[in-house]
Amino acid sequence: MSTVKTKFINDPEQITAELLEGYVLCYPDKVKLAGENIVVRANPKAEDKVAIVTLGGSGHEPALSGFVGEGMLDCSVVGDIFAAPGAQRLFQALQLMKREAGILLVVLNHSGDVMSANMACQLAERAGINVKQLVTHDDISAGIGAPAADRRGLAGCVPLFKVLGAAAEEGKSLDELLEIGKRFTDKVATLAVATGVCTHPQNNALISDLPKGIMEIGMGQHGEGGGGQKPLVSADETATEMVDLLCQQLKPAAGSKLMLIINGTGATTQMEHNIIFRKAYRELEARGLQVVSSRIQEILTVQEQAGFQMLIAVLDDDHILYLNDKKADAPYWTTIGK
Amino acid sequence: MKQLTIEAFKAMIQTALAQVKAREDEFSALDAVIGDGDHGTAIVTALGAVVKAGGNGTEFKAMLNDMGFGVMLETSGSTSTLLGAFFLGMSDHAAGTALDAAGVKAMFAGGLANVRKQTQAKKGDKTMMDALIPAVEAMQESASDDVGELLSAAAAAATHGAAETVGMKANFGRARNYGERSVGYADSGAASWSCMFNAFAEAAKE
Repeated sequence: MSTVKTKFINDPEQITAELLEGYVLCYPDKVKLAGENIVVRANPKAEDKVAIVTLGGSGHEPALSGFVGEGMLDCSVVGDIFAAPGAQRLFQALQLMKREAGILLVVLNHSGDVMSANMACQLAERAGINVKQLVTHDDISAGIGAPAADRRGLAGCVPLFKVLGAAAEEGKSLDELLEIGKRFTDKVATLAVATGVCTHPQNNALISDLPKGIMEIGMGQHGEGGGGQKPLVSADETATEMVDLLCQQLKPAAGSKLMLIINGTGATTQMEHNIIFRKAYRELEARGLQVVSSRIQEILTVQEQAGFQMLIAVLDDDHILYLNDKKADAPYWTTIGK
Repeated sequence: MKQLTIEAFKAMIQTALAQVKAREDEFSALDAVIGDGDHGTAIVTALGAVVKAGGNGTEFKAMLNDMGFGVMLETSGSTSTLLGAFFLGMSDHAAGTALDAAGVKAMFAGGLANVRKQTQAKKGDKTMMDALIPAVEAMQESASDDVGELLSAAAAAATHGAAETVGMKANFGRARNYGERSVGYADSGAASWSCMFNAFAEAAKE
C-alpha cells in the first residue's frame, strides 16, 4: 500500500456520494437521485410498464448508473467502491419502483450482489412487490462451457439493459422481458484482458498483482485473477486469441449476426481499442460471421486498470431491433432509433 | 413444556445470543481456516438484530416476520441472509401466541424449507446445513408432545452434525477451493447453529 496520492478525491468515505452528485448535476434532464445512492430517471416511464432496475458497487463508472435513462434502466442502486449495496437500500429502491406491471432486477453474478438481491427480493415479495431477477454471467474466464454459477457478470449487462429497456418501453410483460433477457444472456460472452492493475481509491492498495510487460487474459472486474499471465503480445495476436475463445463459448453458426463491443477498463487508450476492434472485426468476418451492432467505448471500467473487455453476442431479430432501432437516451448510451 | 409461548421463544433467542457471544472468537477462528475469519462477528451481529427486531412482538407470525426483516435490513452477508431466511420461513408456518409440539415442528420445518431456497448446500458439504438439517429432522422424528423434549432432540442432533463436519472436506462456495485445508476443523456455521440449538433447548428447560 502506498501513501502517495494519485487520485483527485476528497474524503475517501465520500467518493460514492460525491461522484453521484456530480453525475446528476451534469445530466439533470436525464437522471436524478431518489435517495442515498439511488439513481432514477429524471422523467420516469409510465407506471403501466415494467421497471428495469440494477445494482452494483461504484468505482466502475460510467457503469452502472450511466445507463439510467429512457429506453434503458429506470433505476440503479449503488454500493460503495467495488461493494454491493446492502439489501436495505435495494429494498428501498424496489419500494420506490413498485408497480403492478412489476420490476425486473438485473443482477451481475458477483456473490455480494447476488446475496443483496436475494435478500431484498425475499423482503419485497412479502411487501407485495412483484419483482423477478435476471442474473448475468457473461465472463468466460472460468473456462469454456463452465456452469453459469461460476461465471461472473461483466460488461454484458450493458447491451442487456438496452435490449430490456427497449422491450419494456414497448409494453412487454415481466415474463416476456425475462424470456427476452434470458435469450440475450445465453448468447453473450465477454473476456477481459489486463496489462496493468488499479489501486483501490479508498486505501490506495493495489487490488491485484501484475508485473510490467505482462498481460493477463481473464482478469475480473476487481482484479481477480484469470490464470493466464504471459508476456504482452501484439494487438492482433491478442484480438485473435480472444475472438477464438469467445467463439468457442458461443459457437455461432455460419452467417450469424453479432454484436461486438470493445470496453476499455480505464487506462488503455482509445487508439489501442480501435486497433483491437479492427482485428476482432476482421477475424469474425473471416469466420463468415457478420457484425451488425458494435461499439468502442468505456462502458464498465475498473479505475485505472489497463486493458479491455471484448464482448461478443449472437443476436436474433428481436435483439437487433431493440439494440439498433429503438430509442435510448441515457447519459452514456444513446441510440437515435427509427 | 406443552406450549411454547411468545415470551419463552424470546428467552430462547436471547439465550442463543448470549451463548453465541460467549463463543464469538471460537467461531471466527474456525472461519479463518478457510474463510474471512469473521463468522463469529457476523452471527453475533445477525442474532443481535433478530433480538432487537422481535423485542416487542406479541404474536408469532408478525414477530418472526419482523425478526427476519430486521436481520436482513440491519446487517449483510451470507450469515444474515440464511438466518433471515430461517426466521421468514418460520413466520410462514407459525401463528398465534402459543405453539404446541406440532406447531413448533411446523415452524422449524418452515424455517429450514426457506433456508433451502437460499442455498444449494446439502448435508455433508461442511456448512451450517450440517447442523440445521439434522436438528430439524430430529424434531420431526420425535414422537414427544413436549416442546422441551423436541428442542433437546434438535440440540443433540445439531451437536452431532457439527461434530461430524470436523472430518469433512469443504465442498461448497469459496471454501471449496481450500477443501483439504478444512479437514480437522469444524465448520464455523455448523458450530454456531449447533450452539444456537443448544441454547434453545437450555432456555426451554428453565
